[in-house]
Amino acid sequence: MKNILKYFMLSLITLLSFNACKKDYLEREPTFIVTDEQLWKDDKLILGLLANYYDRIPTDMGLTDQPGSQWRNMANYDDAIWSGLSNEEGRNNIFNYNRDSWRYYDYGFIRDINLALENVDKFGAAALNEAERTQIKAELRFIRAYVYFEMVKRMGGVPLITKQLIYDYQGDPAYLQQPRAKEAEVYDFIATELDAIKNDIGNAGSTGRANRYTCMALKSRAMLYAGSIAKYNALLTPSITTAGGEVGIPASRAVEYFQKSLDASKEVIAGPYSLYNNNPNLGENFYEAIVKKSSNPEVIFVRDFLVSKAKKHGFSYENIARGLREDNLSSSCITPTLNLVESYDYLDGSVGTIKNRNATNTDYIYYDNTIDIFANKDARLYGTVIYPGAGFKGLTVDMQAGVIVWNAATSSYQTFEGADIGSNYTDNKLLVAASGPHRSIQEVSNTGFYLRKYIDANDGSSTRGIQSDVWWIWFRLGEIYLNASEAAFELGQTTDALTYVNRIRQRAGFGDNSFSAATLTIEKIRHERRTELAFEDHRVWDLKRWRQADKVWTGNANSPDAQLYALYPYRVVRPGDPTRDGKYVFVKLVAPRFRSPRFFQIFNYYSSFDQAVINNNPKVIQNPFN
Amino acid sequence: MTSKPYLYIFLATLFALGIAGCKKDNYEAPESMLTGRVVYQGQAIGLRSNGVQLELWQHGYAFFTKIPIYVNQDGNFSAKLFDGDYKLTRQRGVGPWIDQTDSIDVKVSGNTIIEVPVTPYTIITNATYQRNGTAITCTANLQTVSTVNPLEAVRLYVFRTALVDETNQDASVNVAAVDIPNISQPLTLNVTIPSSLANADAVYVRVGAKTVGVGELAYSPATKIQLK
Repeated sequence: MKNILKYFMLSLITLLSFNACKKDYLEREPTFIVTDEQLWKDDKLILGLLANYYDRIPTDMGLTDQPGSQWRNMANYDDAIWSGLSNEEGRNNIFNYNRDSWRYYDYGFIRDINLALENVDKFGAAALNEAERTQIKAELRFIRAYVYFEMVKRMGGVPLITKQLIYDYQGDPAYLQQPRAKEAEVYDFIATELDAIKNDIGNAGSTGRANRYTCMALKSRAMLYAGSIAKYNALLTPSITTAGGEVGIPASRAVEYFQKSLDASKEVIAGPYSLYNNNPNLGENFYEAIVKKSSNPEVIFVRDFLVSKAKKHGFSYENIARGLREDNLSSSCITPTLNLVESYDYLDGSVGTIKNRNATNTDYIYYDNTIDIFANKDARLYGTVIYPGAGFKGLTVDMQAGVIVWNAATSSYQTFEGADIGSNYTDNKLLVAASGPHRSIQEVSNTGFYLRKYIDANDGSSTRGIQSDVWWIWFRLGEIYLNASEAAFELGQTTDALTYVNRIRQRAGFGDNSFSAATLTIEKIRHERRTELAFEDHRVWDLKRWRQADKVWTGNANSPDAQLYALYPYRVVRPGDPTRDGKYVFVKLVAPRFRSPRFFQIFNYYSSFDQAVINNNPKVIQNPFN
Repeated sequence: MTSKPYLYIFLATLFALGIAGCKKDNYEAPESMLTGRVVYQGQAIGLRSNGVQLELWQHGYAFFTKIPIYVNQDGNFSAKLFDGDYKLTRQRGVGPWIDQTDSIDVKVSGNTIIEVPVTPYTIITNATYQRNGTAITCTANLQTVSTVNPLEAVRLYVFRTALVDETNQDASVNVAAVDIPNISQPLTLNVTIPSSLANADAVYVRVGAKTVGVGELAYSPATKIQLK
């Protein structure tokens, strides 16, 4: 016992003496923290910082599930509903959009950017020459302009902070509390920043980092938003304004903003980009224009992914058509609605309503194949949506919801649907196709359509092991043409507006001059935006800036715009009538899993500020009606 | 066999803990009911359900955020609260009345009843309905209280439930203000019950007055019209 104690004491003393040898124990350099000074000495770390900041640019949608970007939001509007697992069923039952929907107030990010801007000057000389420092500062300012654009389009005017705010520990933080700038001032700030940096930013030809055309693309979009808010807020009743101009832009400035947008668009159009036109199949061509990564002259700026570097996403895993899925789970989450499908016109220029009943509405129209009902539609329908009978990955996505059987005794049809997908009817022919649609099964389309845009066609890309590296498009030339067309039309320059919008329609298969000066209206240009830019995070912002959202999404169950619809194909069983037996008919119905019509109220035009923000900074005033 | 007593003891302990766990560190729930009405001259104003919000604020606590109170379609509202002093504010530009930004002091002590006075623009004072087949004829009396913002239109709504308003409607008819020759005379509105409601036992109808520049309407009470 004594011995043990002795050894113990001895070892303790030895241990202590070792420690004591280490000098300044509490003042060592940490090995796991990189200081600002160290960071700005190292090329690779600087690049890493930039990559981090580019990756944090927010979007309402995107292809990932990361802070500030949530692909599931694609099912929150009228282009798609949720057909995936029922734990996200709330997206089909949005009783009304919440007051904090789209809220974004990220001054943590703004501070990071401001800090980096100051550090470039402070420490940057060690690793970067003058030109490189100027370029990095320009890129940081581009990202900051983008973040301010995301804030102003959601919240209205926000405080414009361009320097770090540092607390002096004197007990009074009042000097750090900045009031909201006017909404117009934020848009003006974005425009002047982009003009100031476009000559310094370099990166010519890059799609992952911003260059001068990226700057002008952002300016084109931002100025278009400012112009339409100026014009249409005044026409809205009640128009949404605050006394200090934090919300609401004077109508007198509309022309100026539209002109700035048009000028910026023209600069991009004159640049090195061109519309993607490499595939003679116009539908496939439009699909490739979005997802094709090599020699794609159309894309301007993307959030890129690369499977081989493990920067990848599960968007294809979550949203591939059920019959084509390669994994044992998921698929079919975002399913386009009939509303979107019908918004694609017929190539002869007629309205895109799907023709499922005969002219007198006494009987169905009988089609030999399911795909025939979609004949002669805008090629962008094929490029955006997988409809019954369309192909993907070289396979055909068959869809059939059931059969309708002729009952000669009552002279009427009886509908049979199955409990399982891929099941047969009593005549040993198909009852429900492997891809549905089905009224209630999860992870099978509930609308009769699947998403094609942004879905990866490569082998294995819809498995969790491999995943996909399709990029998310921030800007592409197609949008810039539509921005230019809209701005030109608002400015009364109808000839230019026609040129731009007809270029876009020509690629969709409409022929060279499908709109004429006599037929072009602002509604038609807006309609083009919905069809061309579906699922690219435009629809809700467009409806907001046109002040149309509360008129389209009225919450009224009888409104064909607020209610979302499905299209179910059925096989006809009518032995003895060879003109009808074995043919296909289509039924339009409210999507069975869709619960409450979309309801956008006047307070949704500007998201509410979190009360905690106002409590911390009483100079911030709440948005109207919130 | 031998483990049985332990099992019982274990279960009993779990049970005891379960009971005790519920009690500990729990705050008492609010008990006092604040109820009230939005009124003009003692008359409640009909509104869209879930449309108009009143805000209750309580100063003096670290957590400072509004308690939103939605007004029912008959102009009543209620909230379960802790006793204390609150300030009630009316959101600007939402209700069909003149903006009034002064707050109202509310002292909640036990069950409390308050009235929130407002000055509306145009209200429906009385509405009567006659049904003839699928046609409903409404005679409405209007009263213009304030002309700060003029009348835009008068609308008659039909819906399958009693929660009938601008949003929840199966059919409606709109009479623009320019088509109303004399606002002090009773106004007649005609609407046809839509075929989708042809088999319903009853429908509900309601008249609303829309003022220029104000989102929400002032409504008459919802009235049931028996079809069968």
